[in-house]
Amino acid sequence: MSLSSTSSHTMDKSITLPPDEIFRNLENAKRFAIDIGGSLTKLAYYSTVQHKVAKVRSFDHATKVNRDDKLYEISVQEEVTARLHFIKFENAYIETCLDFIKDHLVNTDTKVIKATGGGAHKFKELIERKLGLKVDKEDEMTCLIKGCNFVLRNIPHEAFVYAKHADSEFRFQTTQPDIFPYLLVNIGSGVSIVKVESEDKFERIGGSSIGGGTFWGLGALLTKTKRFDELLQLASKGQHTSVDMLVKDIYGGSYGSLGLTGDLIASSFGKSATADKEFSKEDMAKSLLHMISNDIGQLACLYAKLHNLSRVYFGGFFIRGHPVTMHTITYSINFFTKGEVQALFLRHEGYLGAIGAFLKGAEEDNPNQYSWGENYAGSSGLMSVSPDMNPMQRARSGTFDMLEMDRLERQLVNLPLLQDPSSYIPDTMDLTEDALAREYWLYCFEEALDGVVKRAVASQPDMPEAAQRAEKFRQKYRHKLQTLRQQPL
Amino acid sequence: MLIGRRSARNSHTMDKSITLPPDEIFRNLENAKRFAIDIGGSLTKLAYYSTVQHKVAKVRSFDHATKEAASDKLYEISVQEEVTARLHFIKFENAYIETCLDFIKDHLVNTDTKVIKATGGGAHKFKELIERKLGLKVDKEDEMTCLIKGCNFVLRNIPHEAFVYAKHADSEFRFQTTQPDIFPYLLVNIGSGVSIVKVESEDKFERIGGSSIGGGTFWGLGALLTKTKRFDELLQLASKGQHTSVDMLVKDIYGGSYGSLGLTGDLIASSFGKSATADKEFSKEDMAKSLLHMISNDIGQLACLYAKLHNLSRVYFGGFFIRGHPVTMHTITYSINFFTKGEVQALFLRHEGYLGAIGAFLKGAEEDNPNQYSWGENYAGSSGLMSVSPDMNPMQRARSGTFDMLEMDRLERQLVNLPLLQDPSSYIPDTMDLTEDALAREYWLYCFEEALDGVVKRAVASQPDMPEAAQRAEKFRQKYRHKLQTLRQQPFAYGSLTVRSLLDTREHCLNEFNFPDPYSKIKQKENDMALKYYQKAVKSLEELSWEQRQFALVRVELMAFISCEHPERPWLVDSYDQWFERLKGPPHKCALFFVDNSGVDIILGVMPFVRELLSRGTEVVLASNSGPALNDVTNGELQILTERIAAMDPVIQAGLREDRLMLVQSGSSSPCLDLSRLDKVLAMVVRERQTDLVIIEGMGRAIHTNYYAMLSCESLKMAVIKNSWLADRLGGKLFSVVFKYEVPAGKPSQHSAALSPL
Repeated sequence: MSLSSTSSHTMDKSITLPPDEIFRNLENAKRFAIDIGGSLTKLAYYSTVQHKVAKVRSFDHATKVNRDDKLYEISVQEEVTARLHFIKFENAYIETCLDFIKDHLVNTDTKVIKATGGGAHKFKELIERKLGLKVDKEDEMTCLIKGCNFVLRNIPHEAFVYAKHADSEFRFQTTQPDIFPYLLVNIGSGVSIVKVESEDKFERIGGSSIGGGTFWGLGALLTKTKRFDELLQLASKGQHTSVDMLVKDIYGGSYGSLGLTGDLIASSFGKSATADKEFSKEDMAKSLLHMISNDIGQLACLYAKLHNLSRVYFGGFFIRGHPVTMHTITYSINFFTKGEVQALFLRHEGYLGAIGAFLKGAEEDNPNQYSWGENYAGSSGLMSVSPDMNPMQRARSGTFDMLEMDRLERQLVNLPLLQDPSSYIPDTMDLTEDALAREYWLYCFEEALDGVVKRAVASQPDMPEAAQRAEKFRQKYRHKLQTLRQQPL
Repeated sequence: MLIGRRSARNSHTMDKSITLPPDEIFRNLENAKRFAIDIGGSLTKLAYYSTVQHKVAKVRSFDHATKEAASDKLYEISVQEEVTARLHFIKFENAYIETCLDFIKDHLVNTDTKVIKATGGGAHKFKELIERKLGLKVDKEDEMTCLIKGCNFVLRNIPHEAFVYAKHADSEFRFQTTQPDIFPYLLVNIGSGVSIVKVESEDKFERIGGSSIGGGTFWGLGALLTKTKRFDELLQLASKGQHTSVDMLVKDIYGGSYGSLGLTGDLIASSFGKSATADKEFSKEDMAKSLLHMISNDIGQLACLYAKLHNLSRVYFGGFFIRGHPVTMHTITYSINFFTKGEVQALFLRHEGYLGAIGAFLKGAEEDNPNQYSWGENYAGSSGLMSVSPDMNPMQRARSGTFDMLEMDRLERQLVNLPLLQDPSSYIPDTMDLTEDALAREYWLYCFEEALDGVVKRAVASQPDMPEAAQRAEKFRQKYRHKLQTLRQQPFAYGSLTVRSLLDTREHCLNEFNFPDPYSKIKQKENDMALKYYQKAVKSLEELSWEQRQFALVRVELMAFISCEHPERPWLVDSYDQWFERLKGPPHKCALFFVDNSGVDIILGVMPFVRELLSRGTEVVLASNSGPALNDVTNGELQILTERIAAMDPVIQAGLREDRLMLVQSGSSSPCLDLSRLDKVLAMVVRERQTDLVIIEGMGRAIHTNYYAMLSCESLKMAVIKNSWLADRLGGKLFSVVFKYEVPAGKPSQHSAALSPL
């Protein structure tokens, strides 16, 4: 938290932002919220977007005969819709970002910025000075839960199961008609285990001091590796069996009468108690990772059982976009519940606090009364900043992750005639899981792109810049298709 | 365990040239049979069963026919040899295993033994050595089964086995009374890893959970972080460290408490959270402390969750992580308190280290049905808790050569609760807990030390025909003085320290050196004397009016204890008026009378009282000690005395004949009285006869113990306080009289005037 943000401050701050791409629609922005975590800042704001919409209108019956033989007329109108913007960036860029916002903010009704996260009090003074807004602190846990409820309700395929060795690592869950009750296990520096029963009712039923900070802290002491992502990298290469004492190391095989298999870890770091040899950094990091993941997994299972909850979501920086930890947590949950409970993760887990803080501030706009839809054009998608892809550069990557959500005109609900709303899947084919089908369809859409561009240009014969805009569309959509080829999730 | 194998190898390289005092350690080895061994990571626990020859004093009535020829003595006393069964458990460092096996080999006489039961992670490593040295076949037993069997055994048979640890309390150890039903319970065994076992009955248990974060993790991570390889040293480091320099606390994140979530500022938010980003060096002590907290808290939380999930309230902790380490007992206790908000208490066991060996032994001894008997800890032969405290000499421990012992005597009779206890689970026999009361402890330890010379003299005098008696008496003196010194240092060595345990320890030590009944001759003389006055005494009582007689009976009963002027009423505790009113009412159905001293007390005090009860139509059960203790009348002596009195007194004779007067042994050999460990036959008689009055007399039984005992029927506690310190404590003075008549609340006696003085 405060410590880690201090160190990142000393790092390269001279990024060249492409800020108009990132802080979109800032002119109309109102209602700001900010969530400052140990290393990442998440900014949220609400703005209105002017959209051209095509409207159709029946010809007036009286004048119908005078006109041509068309059934109805088409007109392009400007419409204003509401959109939520969420941007995530390294704490190192916070000052640059605040400056940019200050320069581009037009709307002067905004007096307050909602803030949450452990780092909020540290940057309070900076934010107030730069933006001239009063920082209004919101309870961290309340924001987290509010955000979680929001994404679970509004974003289809928000939750997923992680399966390392399956065809598709990510198996997305369909949105449940009733998202409550659920258990949220937030693994930050420590662990908070929260039971959520309704929109406004939640309780921290448990927790543990053995969390992400323990992996990081003990890992740093054991391996002299100071960076969290590097520690995870080390762990993913190590062999825990050289450090851990397994059941078979004690009993020569399984302990059948107790139902313990030989490969089960009997004692984490048990071998380092008496062996005089040196252990590799990788092996120690792996052992540590297993120890912590298994422990959290067991605690989560026990609390889930005790409170009779079957949906358990995991979040926090220990989990956030790290396949290594998602795998070990998933493994642990499977082990302890014998498959009865599945570990669930969230695509927008990193935004929960910011979303929640924003919602707290926007209560007068009744955001929960509307349905919201993820805007695929303005959202970066899962793992746009994967630590495993460029672990060394991450802290100075300057990558900005975005999520945009459009307010839908109408509130959306289930068709009441669905036989089983909770198992209903609209799509016939899941291209995430079916690689052949994915290849085929991605190819199809790419092939069809030229035609689509042509049609778009042709649809606006009166507008000379239509060709230019169509080209921008082509680039953006092609980029999305390419991204999906790499990361079908 | 692998750990065990390595460390055993390490310790093998160490000094093996101990000079064992082996005959002191491997006692009664000649008659040993049924061996069992539990070899752990660093300690070996050996168990065997043997028979012990004891001298016991027996009394025998002279043949009536030859009576004239004999002296004027009422009965003769003979010392006989009696064989009793004893379990021996010895614990020593693995380093000495070979030396010990050699010693056993040389001294083992019994050749019936063919097999040794073995358990523990080290069992397979030493299998070959044991088979070669002892010529016994090693028969491996399941580790967990042995552990549970052993745990059940100690919980059932050793009073004050379980205790609560409270670091900052007056007394660190708060012992728990034995529960009538020990099941179900949770056993959390913290060895290298953690096993969480639910025990539902003697034979039914299940490992419901576990964790890889255990003692091995503390040891292993601790060794990596601090370069300190020894477990005990790591604990030492931890006890000196500050975890707050390494751990991230709630206040480090939020600047204070996190009120809305109920998290205090000092709560650890993230173990080792500060070492993630700080570039400074952390001290070994601080890291060890943080590690200890992390592991203890984690285990505590898991234990609580499993206890809650399975609805269990008794949670025992064991394993090498706990064993005799105040540091870990403290952190585990703290954690359990935190997570259950005090609803569950962390319990520890005095003989936790022996559980595996006891269990393995029991597996091998099943044909002897050890679970059919009651067993008692022999204080003379047992070392007591923390005899090998790692905190006292952490550096020397591995080569300390200290041997810890536990001996348990098979009791002749099975012991059970008195069915008339109001609440057996909350019954505490002892009035004063000397473990918690430092002043009282000082006083009584001093008293017993002062009295030692007298006891030694009396012991020698009791065996005038034996020239070596003086030598044995001297050995007794040394042993008992040593015990007293140990208790001064570690008052918790044998559970709660009480006047009763001090008296019992003395009896055990006297027996150990073949002074089975130093008072036998004195008792005999006093009984003879008192008997001569019986008829006269009864006659003078008969001459009194009914009212006068009732008071005189109480007076005489109490007077028997003292030779001075009888104190005037009101007494220190005086509910005579209520008792008197009660006597005007209908007679009791049956009275259970726990008797005390020989001589005047039993013959001129108790018997007339019994006589009056019988006359009222109340049946009487006289409960006396099974074995000798001080000058208390034993069951054997009482049989003879009652016969003699019956010959003089038709009321007593009729009582015996009509089975309205019964003599039953209590199962005890103590000057005090534990109503939760009484002879099964006595309990049966009490139930059958629908006993509705319990009379307890004498300092040992009514003051030192049972003063506060709550019974489910009417009770009468009578004593004269013959100790000025104790009298002072109770708010009286020397020779104050306690006459405590109680009627249980909510159970008014038939007579309206009978009030509860409480």
